[in-house]
Amino acid sequence: METTDEQFKIDLAEIAVEKYKAGSLSRRGFLTALGAMGLVPLLGKGAHAQASEIVICNWGGAASDILADVLGTAYTAETGIPLRVDGAGPSPGKVRAMVESGAVVWDVLDSGAGSAIVMNEAGVIQPIDYDIVDASKVLEGTALPFAIGNYLFGYGLATNPTMLPNGVPQNWADVWDVEQFPGIRTFRKSVRGQLESAVLAMGIPKEDVYDFLDEDGLRAAIAKFRELRENIIVWGSGSESQNLFLQGEVAMGKIWSTRAFLLKDQMEPGTFELSFEGGVLQPGMWAVPQKNPAGTEAAMNFIALTQDPDLQIEWFNAIGNAPINPEAAAKVPSELAAWNPADAANVAKMVIYSDEWYGKNQVHAEELYIDALIG
Amino acid sequence: MPRSTLHIFFSTGCWMVLAFLVLPILVVIPVSFTDTAFIGLPRDGLSLQHYETFLRSPKWLQACLTSMWIGVLVAGISTILGTLFCIGVWFLSDRAATIARWVMIVPILVPPVVQSLGFYKFWVVLGLIDTHVGVILAHTLLALPYVTISVFAALTNLDRRIPQAARNLGASLPMTILTVIMPSIRPGMIAGALFAFTVSFDEIVGVLFLTVRRVETLPKVIWDGIQESIDPVIAAVATILVAITLFVTVFGLRGRKI
Amino acid sequence: MSEKTRYWMLALPALALMMIFYIWPVLNIFGISLTEPEPGFGNYTRMFDSNAVKVSFVLTFRIAAITTVFCLLLGYIVAYTITTYGGRRAPLMLGLVLLPFWVSVLVRSFAWIVLLGRSGLVNDTMMDWGIIETPLRLMHNELGVLISMVHVMLPFAILPMLANMRGISQSHMMAARGLGASEWRAFREVYFPQTLPGVFSGGLLVFVLSLGFFITPALLGGGRVMMISEYISYQIQELLRWGLATALSSALLVATALVLIVAGNFVNLRKTFLERK
Repeated sequence: METTDEQFKIDLAEIAVEKYKAGSLSRRGFLTALGAMGLVPLLGKGAHAQASEIVICNWGGAASDILADVLGTAYTAETGIPLRVDGAGPSPGKVRAMVESGAVVWDVLDSGAGSAIVMNEAGVIQPIDYDIVDASKVLEGTALPFAIGNYLFGYGLATNPTMLPNGVPQNWADVWDVEQFPGIRTFRKSVRGQLESAVLAMGIPKEDVYDFLDEDGLRAAIAKFRELRENIIVWGSGSESQNLFLQGEVAMGKIWSTRAFLLKDQMEPGTFELSFEGGVLQPGMWAVPQKNPAGTEAAMNFIALTQDPDLQIEWFNAIGNAPINPEAAAKVPSELAAWNPADAANVAKMVIYSDEWYGKNQVHAEELYIDALIG
Repeated sequence: MPRSTLHIFFSTGCWMVLAFLVLPILVVIPVSFTDTAFIGLPRDGLSLQHYETFLRSPKWLQACLTSMWIGVLVAGISTILGTLFCIGVWFLSDRAATIARWVMIVPILVPPVVQSLGFYKFWVVLGLIDTHVGVILAHTLLALPYVTISVFAALTNLDRRIPQAARNLGASLPMTILTVIMPSIRPGMIAGALFAFTVSFDEIVGVLFLTVRRVETLPKVIWDGIQESIDPVIAAVATILVAITLFVTVFGLRGRKI
Repeated sequence: MSEKTRYWMLALPALALMMIFYIWPVLNIFGISLTEPEPGFGNYTRMFDSNAVKVSFVLTFRIAAITTVFCLLLGYIVAYTITTYGGRRAPLMLGLVLLPFWVSVLVRSFAWIVLLGRSGLVNDTMMDWGIIETPLRLMHNELGVLISMVHVMLPFAILPMLANMRGISQSHMMAARGLGASEWRAFREVYFPQTLPGVFSGGLLVFVLSLGFFITPALLGGGRVMMISEYISYQIQELLRWGLATALSSALLVATALVLIVAGNFVNLRKTFLERK
């Protein structure tokens, strides 16, 4: 089943509006974002892409503008080929329909491991050419034969110290300690990336989280959430999680690092902290559809170019997408390193998200999770 | 007459309940004039900045415009269809006609989420997802019950012998409807159209299911806003909507008295 | 063409539109629940086995019932005062009932969020005045959902009761008073029984609308006060489980229909829905 977290990509789109308000997104960029939302008619959308350009499909909003601004500018400077971003969202269903109908308009897809596996099984994406793309320039384990990591994102433990008289929780066991750390916690409304917290709170080492999560382990983790439920508010979208902190509704919670990246500038100094202790790290993936209009080589060249550490830093600074190239991590400005889930010190503290586990168990786990929380 | 205990109890209670009904809505007004960037009461003075943001935002303005024209269209279509329907079943006034009237008000009884699922599956087949036509069709269906209720109420006050007399004098059915029936049920039609416009203008659950990006109505933007932004601009929009409602209510009550 | 056919032709466009684009898709929900992901009653067994579904249904009926009781109590006071003591203030009072009725539920929910939040106006004011030390939890729980639902539903309770009371002559009550009954006794034994049809009407309307309510619980419930409508939308959005979502929808439809059928024994459904003002 589809396990890629599309909700996360859509979330990046929503960040657009805030970026614009904060002045960090240009007016032109904002108009492009509006175009993606259907307010300004998009030019040439749906038309057959010319071989003289390359089309990257991602999930719209700020992520589109920033991709065009940062990666597009660099790509065009190097190759002379114009780059266009389509924010339509490359879901496996759409890619499959496109490939099977023979009218492929996308060259590179901003996908995820789960989707890439599905698309590969359906035979609609190409193998990555590792003569052009460097498998060593990504986090270990994210160079798959048919897709390769493009950036990292993750869940961290966000806290508001002013609401925690006894100090800030250091780990998930602390989060479950409502005596010592009273206050409302927030978790995601979906089970994805949340169970890990309960497992770690039970003292299971982070390497063993998914091994622990057999049926009994799952039940135990769910019971942990049931225990805590009177102190939980759940968030449905990334922006909602951000809002809960801004409004002072919650004292702590598990939120996306990209949202924390925005909150650090929005909250008063001293009212917001983020820890990746026991966080969950997830890679995004580039994939290339079969028969892409610009040809395999152009697509692979684009992917290779995005592996440049400096570009990845620029990308991170713009929207909080963490660099997947380990070499880039060291180049993140030190004051931002703490907010970078890909920072070596942070990676060491985190659980690597298992698409495989969620692929197998999500529906069942989701049911138990919601049962534990409601009522 | 001296006020009895019962009188005092009921009057006091009534004003308290009315305060509960109205005051919470009015709270959006001071918040909309706040000089802060977040939701709260004004700190150092009043500010129009959030109204400015609203007026400068293509997203909000576009959504207002979209909701307006969709609402007007829905009001027009559903009032015409609903009025013809009511006149037809009013003439018939048999068991089948009553059943037909029940069919027309089903949308009031079906939970919004349930009907939206139904719409969604069918709209996919029809290719109406994320189109204005799809939203207008859904809203028309949701508005029809309100139109039929108010128009039919107006018809029940109409003397059956009047259109009959017109027919006997040789007027055709369309002629009778246009010149005899419609003028006398106009208040019901206007009320129905107003209802229909409001239903469409405020409708949220349907658009959440039926639209993606291409159609953005005002309720959808408010919904997103409530869920994601801390922006008092929603308070400014809410204040404008409340002011319009206040105006229409006062105006409507005046009209009723005269 | 016979006269009758001509009249049906007038009714037909709206009726056909309603049958094809509304009744059919809604009925189709039952079909989907029996065919997706595979034919059979699998969705229903899953639904009845699920504890979460049970909890959500109980929660839905509980919230609908509490909302109804509060709306009737508060609404009766308003309707009675307007008819009996209103005098020249009656139009103003009616206006104050109608104003929130015409303001969109979204705007009203937003107002409640502004008021009830942890750093909302109610908490801030009470802390400024020293009434409380730490903020109360007024929102993101059942309390917040109930407050705002009563607010949304009150006019639906008041208006039918008002219509009913306006049709009741005060003369019986006057007569009872003349015969020496206290005002309270005259109200309780003579007036109140006559208002029951209005009370039932208003109660049924509020209850049925509350059962399917989505917006307010979704915005003020903090995700944990998951009424059945929100549960359905969650199944679709998070899990793409159309089968279970449509089975839940069918159950909600059947539950609503049962409520109406049972209520039909002592409520005038025609007056409540068909001839509603």
